[in-house]
Amino acid sequence: MVSLSNHEATSAHPILEVAGLVKHFPVRKGVLQRAVGQVRAVDGVDLTLAPGETLALVGESGCGKSTLGRLVLRLIEPTAGSIRFEGQDIRALGDRELRDLRGRMQIIFQDPYASLNPTMTVGDMIAEPLMLHGVGNAAERRRRVAELLGLVGLMPHHARRFPHEFSGGQRQRIGIARALAVEPRLIVADEPVSALDVSIQAQVINLLRDLQRRFGLSYILISHGLAVVKHVADRVAVMYLGKIVEIGDKRSLFAAPRHPYTQALLSAIPIPDPAVKRRRAILQGDVPSPLNPPPGCRFHTRCAFARERCRKEEPLLETAAAGHRVACHFWREVPAMEPIRAGIDADPQLVRLQGFFRSRRRDERDAALASAGART
Amino acid sequence: MTAPAAPDAKLLEVRDLRTYFVGEDGTSRAVDGVGFALPRGRTLCLVGESGCGKSVTALTIMGLVPQPPGKIASGEIVFDGRDLLKLDREAMNDLRGNRVAMIFQEPMTSLNPAFTIGDQIAEVILRHRKIGPREARERAIEMLRRVRIPAPEQRIDEYPHKLSGGMRQRAMIAMALALDPQLLIADEPTTALDVTIQAQILELLRELRAEFGMSLLLITHDLGVVAEVADEVAVMYAGRIVERADAATLFRRPGHPYTIGLLASIPKLTVEQDELPVVEGAVPNPLALPAGCRFHPRCPFADEECRRTDPALAAIAPGHEVACLKAPLERHVL
Ligand SMILES: Nc1ncnc2c1ncn2[C@@H]1O[C@H](COP(=O)(O)OP(=O)(O)OP(=O)(O)O)[C@@H](O)[C@H]1O
Ligand SMILES: Nc1ncnc2c1ncn2[C@@H]1O[C@H](COP(=O)(O)OP(=O)(O)OP(=O)(O)O)[C@@H](O)[C@H]1O
Ligand code: SF4
Ligand SMILES: [Mg+2]
Ligand SMILES: [Mg+2]
Repeated sequence: MVSLSNHEATSAHPILEVAGLVKHFPVRKGVLQRAVGQVRAVDGVDLTLAPGETLALVGESGCGKSTLGRLVLRLIEPTAGSIRFEGQDIRALGDRELRDLRGRMQIIFQDPYASLNPTMTVGDMIAEPLMLHGVGNAAERRRRVAELLGLVGLMPHHARRFPHEFSGGQRQRIGIARALAVEPRLIVADEPVSALDVSIQAQVINLLRDLQRRFGLSYILISHGLAVVKHVADRVAVMYLGKIVEIGDKRSLFAAPRHPYTQALLSAIPIPDPAVKRRRAILQGDVPSPLNPPPGCRFHTRCAFARERCRKEEPLLETAAAGHRVACHFWREVPAMEPIRAGIDADPQLVRLQGFFRSRRRDERDAALASAGART
Repeated sequence: MTAPAAPDAKLLEVRDLRTYFVGEDGTSRAVDGVGFALPRGRTLCLVGESGCGKSVTALTIMGLVPQPPGKIASGEIVFDGRDLLKLDREAMNDLRGNRVAMIFQEPMTSLNPAFTIGDQIAEVILRHRKIGPREARERAIEMLRRVRIPAPEQRIDEYPHKLSGGMRQRAMIAMALALDPQLLIADEPTTALDVTIQAQILELLRELRAEFGMSLLLITHDLGVVAEVADEVAVMYAGRIVERADAATLFRRPGHPYTIGLLASIPKLTVEQDELPVVEGAVPNPLALPAGCRFHPRCPFADEECRRTDPALAAIAPGHEVACLKAPLERHVL
């Protein structure tokens, strides 16, 4: 058993508990399609998520974030391990129960262009999950669609339009409205803003946060944008080659990252402030293949602190601080990372000008949220 | 330096460039009056959101816009004293790859999967230099070494798909720099890469710029990347440059409402914020650009004048230009 952090201990009933989760994809070759190896996409992951909490999964391309997200929703079957959602073992569910469960867990995809059906109107698309779960009659569903559109900052008449008539940010809102339709408890958001224009990202990030506060949603946020994660998440799990190498409360993890990989990831982020001075530890080399991950600590091939033990023995997650665990043999010896401080002093004049960009529709949205909240 | 050193400190100056695309639905004014200057040995970042015309600007400079549907409606691209738009095809071919090189947004479109990276680099060299294949190969190995590819003697005979994304990008940079160009245009060179690999490539570009003494025109949508590498910055919006400044000024005292909003709306590692400021709306459709200032539908400072009058880029301080009718804003709105 892993030790429970403070946060986890206080929430007596986690909404999600994952233990020993593994997913290996067979790699096939030749005309006979014989399995010649295994991609160890997720390779032994434990985590818990409290109601109303956001856990972010971060790490480089191919480290297993999306696979983990899809396993949690049982969109793919695990090779091993257990997943409990609201206390139920979801691997043991039959078709009917699984359909019920799907109403309580939803996913938002990265690509707002590919994830919407181009031949359906926005209204039908949002109503689809309601029909699937037999919610309401046609008139009630229409009302609910209008309400959901309002929630995500769109207009009721948008229901009659097709996805191609919308911008990327609007399409992502449609995806969010659809995910919210059946009042889920957990949403897996897989890179929900990565494909969006920079000026649109903030709109969607604010929306996700408002909805969470309003409805007590739990999120698993998959993102490679660490600044986005710092803004939205409560806790952060850093993955490397299918494993969690560090997990902790956001504040603790960003203020005092312990794992050399987390430190490298943080120091690699370009910061939009030319006056920030930092000592950078630029990581050399590439991520090794998940077909054949290095023995011992999987990070040892790129780690500046690696020693003999790292090549032989796999480090387990150990508690480094309250609610903060790290999988590194030598975390006690890894020098603390200099905190990243703003280099530009906040220019008071600039701050006042930026104040003009507070969301104008905030009030309308609050009103929409209030009426939706009153209904539920 | 082999080039006849022009007294002028500007290696590249683009003036009032307009590149349009004529299609069935109408004319898309992809680049619509763009101007900037790139001093020798410096890095200029062209920054802006998807579709604002960054790549089309770069392709126009390279003489690579397909015509039709493209049409260069006006402008001058003065490179080392000559207007590239007036060069004939042969002169342009000679210049391209040789004195001006480009790294494209999609790495796999510019590397041919059927040839080894060594053959592809050598080919570029043979096309422009009167040397034999042996020498060209030597030079290709040398280039791979200079972009810090380990064991270049072996790597040179590998095919692009065998290389990781970061290595492929290094190979592309090696190919672009093989002829020692004066100007390197890099279009989103790190967008497809992971942050740790991005950090490696940005570091490499910085070092190479100093080593080769070239000028760098770097295109990106990432203000973080801009802060890391830019000397000068040009911010694009809907086919126009809306702000030009040195990097320190742009981040400390942005003058255009779009720049201010964009900078405000990105989440930051260095500050705690509750609600992010938002630039409402979305970028306009290039087939139906708003009248007056193109930013006015999204601008919190816009008034009647902004809906009617199209602002030109004008200096608000030495070396700092802004295309906004209300600039300097502090005088108008604070
Ligand atoms: N259906 C599949 N069959 C075979 N291999 C797969 C499959 N899905 C994922 N993989 C492999 O599993 C590993 C983890 O993939 P995953 O998509 O979970 O990564 P990720 O962390 O989401 O990456 P990204 O940031 O690029 O989205 C990768 O090596 C990937 O190639
Ligand atoms: N060959 C073409 N034919 C028609 N329109 C084009 C063509 N190439 C580009 N455009 C249009 O020109 C505009 C500017 O495109 P451009 O590729 O320069 O954008 P960008 O700023 O590079 O965006 P991104 O960040 O997405 O790469 C877009 O509206 C695009 O659709
Ligand atoms: S000209 Fe007007 S609309 Fe355009 S940016 Fe300036 S204030 Fe805003
Ligand atoms: Mg993914
Ligand atoms: Mg582009």
